[in-house]
Amino acid sequence: MHIHRYEKLWLIIGSIILLIFLTILAIQTFFLEMGPPSHAETIDPQSVRDSEIFADAELKEIGENEYEIAIIAEMFAFQPGDLEIPAGSTVHFILSSPDVTHGFKITDTNVNVMVVPGHISKVSHTFDEPGEYLILCNEYCGAGHEYMANTITVN
Amino acid sequence: MKNASSEKKEEHIHTGLPETSLAGTFVSVLILAAFMLLAWSGVFLLFLSRN
Repeated sequence: MHIHRYEKLWLIIGSIILLIFLTILAIQTFFLEMGPPSHAETIDPQSVRDSEIFADAELKEIGENEYEIAIIAEMFAFQPGDLEIPAGSTVHFILSSPDVTHGFKITDTNVNVMVVPGHISKVSHTFDEPGEYLILCNEYCGAGHEYMANTITVN
Repeated sequence: MKNASSEKKEEHIHTGLPETSLAGTFVSVLILAAFMLLAWSGVFLLFLSRN
């Protein structure tokens, strides 16, 4: 088969670009633990509020500068409310919804999770910079959607 | 005349379509590649800065 010289060239360039993209993604995912959050765990939406994980949940220190918090995203609030943590802390968020699908977005970070009823979502983030971080619901969930906002204060 | 035209016909069969210039196409593809690299790098850097 005859292929034009230029065609060969852009096929090679295209393949190299694709290879670079995929290599970077593979290194991030398999060696730097920077893959997208993924967690397969289910829960009955009706029992979320009474469950062992979510009932009376609060910020728990599980290690040096390492915290864990279970948050319920519901119409139209995140429970528990505002959080306060020291700078440099890693927080593991465990999320679920007892009603409809909500979003969990922390501004200026890569934390952006869809909180689907029936599922438990997990995501972690290290807060190095002090300041106030806004948590927002970014999945339209009903008439009070815009009230779903909390803050994380990093000291 | 008849001979010449049949020779030409034979030549066509051997080489297929006449070679066209793909310079413009090549430049367009490179521009597209540059755009993709820039867009990808931009999003990637944004991801790293927020991590």
